Amino acid sequence: MYALGVPIAVPDEDADLVRSAIGGDDEAFTELVRRHKGTVLRNAARFARNPAELEDLGQETFLRVYRDLRSFRGDAPFGHWLSRITVHVCYDALRKRRREEKDVSLEVLATPVADPSTGNGPSAQLARMILDQAMSRLKPEDRLVITLFELEDRSVREVAGLTGWSETRVKVRAFRARQTLKRLIGGDDER
Amino acid sequence: MNDKRHDRRDVELDRYFALARHAPPDISGVERNFETRVMARIREGREAWYAWAWRLAPVFLALTILLAGWSLSYSPVHPADAVATLASGTQEVALLDNLTGE
Repeated sequence: MYALGVPIAVPDEDADLVRSAIGGDDEAFTELVRRHKGTVLRNAARFARNPAELEDLGQETFLRVYRDLRSFRGDAPFGHWLSRITVHVCYDALRKRRREEKDVSLEVLATPVADPSTGNGPSAQLARMILDQAMSRLKPEDRLVITLFELEDRSVREVAGLTGWSETRVKVRAFRARQTLKRLIGGDDER
Repeated sequence: MNDKRHDRRDVELDRYFALARHAPPDISGVERNFETRVMARIREGREAWYAWAWRLAPVFLALTILLAGWSLSYSPVHPADAVATLASGTQEVALLDNLTGE
């Protein structure tokens, strides 16, 4: 069960399925994937550039889950453990991609965005595109933190739990990411 | 002046975030039959492991046959006269002692 993408502490209904999957029951693992694919794909979609990449991130997450299932201790809900793996898979993908995106065009970033409450101005789709382009200039750690923090609306503590970093580090990363984004979107990028 | 500019930028950035938050990415295409594809990849990985094991089986078989053949054909030299061997060894030691002056 999730609220704002964060697992709520309820008796873990997945525990039996996890046990069966460890015992080699493919059907049990299929059921786990079926139950959690929506959450994993929604979280990964914030980091994917296209559906093919989203498919890769999703598959890589569940392959890692399958491989490491024995290391799941069950002291936290399965969904929480899965979210951590998703974040790590996405972070690895960001680091791998970093070199490819150094020369991204920033022309589109000059577009002004209207107040969402008025309903005028560029679409949410365009805002996402602009943000994606600006965020592709961030360091992978900064991008990960700002995505979890601003786009997924998670708290500093949650981000720290998911990434395994300290809360101070998360705050510093979020601050730096905001500064860079403001500079990029405001058109002050010194290139 | 500078502060105002920073405020404006913060507001602008927050607008971008708000808009992007309210436009959740469309995952419906990828979500469809996703579990089937994941399981196919898992099975593929397992089958690849079995395939490699089968591919390497002839190599291990050939190695086993070679080792068996070699161990059967191997016969260490066992001189018939052990006393003669010991004696020849003693002579060599004596000769070495003589040459080195010990």
